[in-house]
Amino acid sequence: MIRAVIIDDERNSRDIIALMLQRYCPDIEAVAQAANCREGIAQIREHRPQLVFLDLEMPDGTGFDVLTGAYDATFETVFVTAFEKRYLHTIRLSEVELILKPIDRESLQQAVQAVRQRLHHPGKQERYDVLLHNFGKSAKDVRQIVIPLAGGGEYIASIENIAYVEGSTDRTLFSLSNGDLLQSRRPFRYYTELFAGMRFYQINNHQMVQLPHIRHIDHDNLQLHLHNKSVLDITERRKRELAAAWKQS
Amino acid sequence: MYRLSLICLLLCAALTGTVRAGDRDTLSVDFSRPVNGLDIRHYLSVFSGNATASQAQGLDYRKDTSFFHRNKKLLFQENDGWFRLTIRNTGPVDSVLYLFAGWQERLFFYSEDASGALRHDASAGMMHYQPGADRWDSYAFPLHVAAGQARTFYLHVENPYYRENELMPVLYDAIHYAQFRHLQADRFKGEALVIQIVIGMLLVLLSITIINYIQLPDKPSMYFSAYLLGLILFFCLRLETKPYQLSFFHSMPMLKYYWDVPALICCFYFMPMLFGRAFLNLRERFPLMDKYYFYSNIFYGACIAACIVLMWMGDYSLPGQIFTWATFLSLIPFGISFVALGRRVRHHPLIRFFLYGSLGLYLLAILSFFRNTEPVPFTPLPELITPYSLLVVGVLVQALSYAAGLSYRNKLVHQEKTRTQEMLIKQLNKNKELQRKLNEQLEELVREQTTEIVRRKTELEEQRKLQMEAEYSKKFAEIELKAIRAQINPHFIFNCLNSIQLFVMQRDFEHAQKYLSDFSYLIRKTLDFSRRNFISLADEITYLNTYLGLEKMRFEQKMSFEILMDPTLNTAELEVPAMLLQPYVENAVKHGMTNEEHTTGLLTIRFTMIAHDMLECIVEDNGLGIERSRQLRTLPGHHQSSGMEISFNRAELLNKMYNTGIQIEIIDKSARGTQESGTIVRVLIPQL
Repeated sequence: MIRAVIIDDERNSRDIIALMLQRYCPDIEAVAQAANCREGIAQIREHRPQLVFLDLEMPDGTGFDVLTGAYDATFETVFVTAFEKRYLHTIRLSEVELILKPIDRESLQQAVQAVRQRLHHPGKQERYDVLLHNFGKSAKDVRQIVIPLAGGGEYIASIENIAYVEGSTDRTLFSLSNGDLLQSRRPFRYYTELFAGMRFYQINNHQMVQLPHIRHIDHDNLQLHLHNKSVLDITERRKRELAAAWKQS
Repeated sequence: MYRLSLICLLLCAALTGTVRAGDRDTLSVDFSRPVNGLDIRHYLSVFSGNATASQAQGLDYRKDTSFFHRNKKLLFQENDGWFRLTIRNTGPVDSVLYLFAGWQERLFFYSEDASGALRHDASAGMMHYQPGADRWDSYAFPLHVAAGQARTFYLHVENPYYRENELMPVLYDAIHYAQFRHLQADRFKGEALVIQIVIGMLLVLLSITIINYIQLPDKPSMYFSAYLLGLILFFCLRLETKPYQLSFFHSMPMLKYYWDVPALICCFYFMPMLFGRAFLNLRERFPLMDKYYFYSNIFYGACIAACIVLMWMGDYSLPGQIFTWATFLSLIPFGISFVALGRRVRHHPLIRFFLYGSLGLYLLAILSFFRNTEPVPFTPLPELITPYSLLVVGVLVQALSYAAGLSYRNKLVHQEKTRTQEMLIKQLNKNKELQRKLNEQLEELVREQTTEIVRRKTELEEQRKLQMEAEYSKKFAEIELKAIRAQINPHFIFNCLNSIQLFVMQRDFEHAQKYLSDFSYLIRKTLDFSRRNFISLADEITYLNTYLGLEKMRFEQKMSFEILMDPTLNTAELEVPAMLLQPYVENAVKHGMTNEEHTTGLLTIRFTMIAHDMLECIVEDNGLGIERSRQLRTLPGHHQSSGMEISFNRAELLNKMYNTGIQIEIIDKSARGTQESGTIVRVLIPQL
C-alpha cells in the first residue's frame, strides 16, 4: 500500500481525489487531507507519506511552498491543478507528474503508475531539486532540465550546455557542449514547446540549435559550425534569419 | 588758237615790209588801222634777270625771242625779266594800242614820259590784288602814242611759280582785244562748269560724310571729310566766273598758290593714306603695310610743311619739284601696296573700294599725263596738264569709291551691330526664358515641397490617427480577450467542473443538474457580454448572482454574499460596462475567505444612484484589506491577480473611447480608522 496525503483548499477537490483513488487505485491509501500549505506540511511530517497530491494554488501559498517546507521528508509528488499555466513549464522541466481537474481516470492512473515505478528505485530526488531550483524563474533564466533517458533513468543537464537538439521518431537526441550525446524518451515536439522563449533556434523541422553555441555560419556551403565541432546543415531560406538572431543573442 | 597765231604770223609777214622801213628797234604801227594780235617778239628788247625799276632804263637789253613761248612752261626757278618796246605811231591821229603778254603771275608796266623819266603806269598778274578792280580787266596795258611820235615802254615780268603760262607779247586795238577776251572767257566757262559740277558733287559727298560722321563718329569718315574739304578748297580756288578772277578768294590771290602742291600732296597722298589706314584697319590686318603708310604719311606731312615754308619764303617752284619727285618716288611702293591689297581683296570687302578708288585716280592720272597736249617735260603736275577733265574724273572716281566704301563699311558695321543686337536680344530672350524657366522650376519646387509637406503632415496625422485607432482597437481587443479570461478564470471553470463531477460521482444529480445549468448560463453570458461594451444593470446583476451562486457551491459555508439595490432603480434602463465589476467581485470572494478572523467571507454588492445621472456600485468584503493582501502578494510565487488591473484599464479605455467618466476607487477599510478590515471598491458609472 502506498500512503498518500491530499492537499487542496477546496473540499470538493479533496473529496473527489480521495473518491477516485479509492475507486481506481486501490493500492493507494489517502491517509490524510489538508486545506492549506501550513496544514499540509504538518500532515506530511506527521504521516510520512510516499505520495502527496498537491494543489498548486492555495490561500496561504503554493504547492512549492509545501515542497520547500517539507524538504526533509522524502516523497513523490503529483501536482493537481485546475488550470495553471504559470508553473507548467517549471514542472515539465523537472519531469514531475501533474494531473488536471476535473481529474479523469487515465491521467490519474498514469501518474500513479509513474510514481509507483519511481518508488521502486528510491533515492532519486534530484527532480525536486531541479523543480525548486527553476521555480520562480522566467523561461530565460531556468538553468536545469531533467532528461528522461530512453534507456531508463534521468539525466540532469544544465540547459546552457545543450548545443543542439535533434528529433528522431519518438525520441530526441541531445548534443551537449562537451560533445556528449543523450537520447530522451520525449518526442522532439515536446522540447520545441518546452524551449520556446529560450535561446534556441529551430533550423529545420527536426533540429534546434542553441544560439550561443554557434561558432560560425558558413553562408556559402549553408553549414553551421558549432563550438563542439558539430556541423549542421541549414537552409537557404532560414540562413539570414538565423544570422540575425545569432547576432542579437 | 593756232589759227589765230597763223593769222598773226601772216600779218607779221605782211607788216615786215613796213616795219623794216623804220628804226630796227622801233616798231612803227599805224594806230588808226586795225591791229589784231600783232606779234611783237622781234621788237621787244629783253633783259633776263633781276633788276629794280630805277635800273630799268640802263639795262643791257637784247633781242632774245627764246624768252617767249606759246605754251605752258615748267619753271625750275623764278623767271624775271624786263622788256623794252619803242613804238611809233605812223597813223594820223593820236591813238592807243593794247599790249597783252599772257596771263602771267606778276606784270608791271612802265612808260617813259617826254622828259625820259620812267613812270609806273599799271600792274597786273595772278598774284596781284587791287581792291575794287577786276584782275581780268587789267591784263592789257594801253600804249598811248601821239600821231607820228614814238614812245618807249617797259614791261617787267616776274614769275616765281613753277608754271609759266603762254608768254607771247601781242598788240591789239580796242576792238580786237575785246574779241580776244570774249574767246578766252568762253574757254574758261567750260572749265568753270566742270569745276562747279565737281565741287557740287564733292559738297554733296562731304555733307553725307559729315552727317554720317555725326551719326557714327569714326576715323575713316573724319579723314574722308578732311580729304573732301581739301579737294573742295582746291577746286574752289580754281573756280572763276571770269578767267583769272578767283571769284571766291578774290582778295586772297596767294591762297591758290599755297593750296596747290600742298593740296595735291594732301588730297592724293596724305589723306587717302590716313583714310586707308583707318578704313582698312591696317594696324590689325596688315601691320607691315600699316607701317609703310605711317612712314609715308610722315614723309608727306613733312613735304607739305616744307612746301608751305618754301612758299612763305617766296619760292614757289621748288614745291613743284618736290611734288614731282614725291610722286615718282611713291609710284613703286604704292604699286606694291596695291598689289598686296589686291591679293587680299577676297578676305576683306572694304579693300575693293579703297583699291578701286586709288587705282582709278592713279590710272586716270597716268593716262592724262600721257595724253598731255602741253609740250612740257613729263610731269605729274596737274597745272601743266591739258585736258584737265580726265584727272577730275579720276578724283571723282576716288572720292566716290571712298564714299561707297564708307557706306559699305557703315553697312557692315550696321550689320555687325544688328547681328550683335540680335544676338544680344537672343541672349536676353534666352536669359529671360532661362529666368522664367528657373522661376517656374523654383515655384514648382516650392509648390511641390509645400504640397509634399502638407501631404506628409496629413499623412502623419492620419497615420497617427490610424495608429491610435489601431492601438485602441488592438488594446481593446486584447483587453476584451483578457477580460474574458479574467472573468472566467480558468481556475474557476475547472474547479466548477470538478465540483459538478463530485456531485455526479456522489449521485447528487439534482445539484449536478442545477450547477451545470448555472455554469452553462455563466459561460454563455460571459461570451456574449465580452463582445459588448455596455449591458443593462439587470443583466449585470443576474450575471453576478449566478457567478456568486457557483462560487458558493465551491466554498459552501466559507462564504456568503448579498446584492443590495435601491428599489427605485430602473435596472433595465441603466447601463454599465459589461462585466466591469466581475473581477472586483471575484477578488472580494477570494479575499473574504483569507481573513482568519471570520469563518465566513461576507461579500456585499450595492447599487445606488448618487445623482440623477451617476450610478454608484460598491463591492465590499470583510477580508484582510487590500494593503495586507498586497504585502502577502509580494511573497514569491504568490498568485498575482490581474483581473482588477484589466478592469481598471478597461474603464480607462472606455472613458477614452466613449468619453464616459467612469471612476474606480479602491479603499482599504482599515484606512478609515474603523475596527473592520476589508476592501471597498467604489465604481462610479455616469449615465448618459
